[in-house]
Amino acid sequence: MDFLTIDVGTILFTLINTGLIFLAFKLILFKRIDAILEQRQHEVTDIYHKADDALTSANADKEKYAQAVAGAKEEAQGIIQRSEKIARKQGDAILEKARQEAQAAREKSAIETEQEVRLARTELQKEISGLAVQLAEKIMEKEINPDDHERLIDDFIQHIGDES
Amino acid sequence: MNFSDFLRGSPDGVNVSGPKIVCSFDIGGITINLTETIVVSWIIILAVTLLLLWLTSDLKTKNISKKQAVAEWAVKTVYNLVDDTMGKHWHWFAPYIAALFTFSILGSLISMIGLRSVTADFNAPLTWALITFVIIHGTNIKTHGLGGYFKGYVDPVPVMLPINVLSELATPVSMSLRHFGNVVSGMVITSLLYYALSLITAKIGVAFCTIGIPAVLSLYFDLFSGFMQAFIFIMLTMVYISNADARSES
Repeated sequence: MDFLTIDVGTILFTLINTGLIFLAFKLILFKRIDAILEQRQHEVTDIYHKADDALTSANADKEKYAQAVAGAKEEAQGIIQRSEKIARKQGDAILEKARQEAQAAREKSAIETEQEVRLARTELQKEISGLAVQLAEKIMEKEINPDDHERLIDDFIQHIGDES
Repeated sequence: MNFSDFLRGSPDGVNVSGPKIVCSFDIGGITINLTETIVVSWIIILAVTLLLLWLTSDLKTKNISKKQAVAEWAVKTVYNLVDDTMGKHWHWFAPYIAALFTFSILGSLISMIGLRSVTADFNAPLTWALITFVIIHGTNIKTHGLGGYFKGYVDPVPVMLPINVLSELATPVSMSLRHFGNVVSGMVITSLLYYALSLITAKIGVAFCTIGIPAVLSLYFDLFSGFMQAFIFIMLTMVYISNADARSES
């Protein structure tokens, strides 16, 4: 062929060939790469969605746990308060009981002391009566002057003092 | 064959001719020549198809192979180029641009393996320029309407009609001749220089000129020029088409 010729056959074949290479690019390269890019885009979107869902779920769980912890704290506080109340009641009861027991013991002790004193007084009166009788007997037995009389009385009083 | 033959342009020394006719056949009285250009084009199409099949085999969304990374990079680069130059509404046009660029660059570079460049046949760039021409005018009619399209020829004044028509016709002619001229001139210059270097080698008897220098020349005239012309051709195609698109104007 000549160096510079316009050939219809070559133009037609070049047109067909250009169409063929275009189809090769479109159907083999671009279509497949577009599909894989789209698929990857979907996967990335899914990953983002899953991450968002996980974050939402985690936040919900966090909120739930926070509420649960707050509830537990309140419950614990209630338990502590109830326990304190019970302990205080029990303590008060124990103290009251101890106080009553102490009171009872004190009263019992006072009664016993009073009885002891009364008994001692009775015995002392008995002893004094005996001594008085003895003194009277002694006075009766011998003649005594006023000095002896006074001395006897003093001895008697001294004797009573030693006895008590 | 001597140096004076080279200076005179001896037909035995440097022979610059059109593509050889492989075979001819008649279809409805029209003779169709199956030329070297067509056969080389088929070789390119086969090679490109096999390359694309290899690149896109075993595609995955994770842990991708190097060849898949290259394929994805190439596709995204073409998409970005088309989007930036023509606008997002021409996104679908990317495969054609990729095909045109590949066909053009491989059509020029195939000379490096001893075959005749597809683009050194004027009919090849002319066909691509005609495709661009048809798309330009189709886009113009589609976006401006038939009335708007014809009105464009008498814009700004009716007397401009012949100049506007000439301007439109000049587009495919300039595009195809630029591409063809650059490739074929490179081919002619390379052939002349090869011939000159072979003569020098014959004169001095040492083949130092034919080693190294042709590689450097081939680097420019085949590789660089082939790439540049392919790039210029697709850029012009995109710019002309987007200029004809009323959506791009707005």
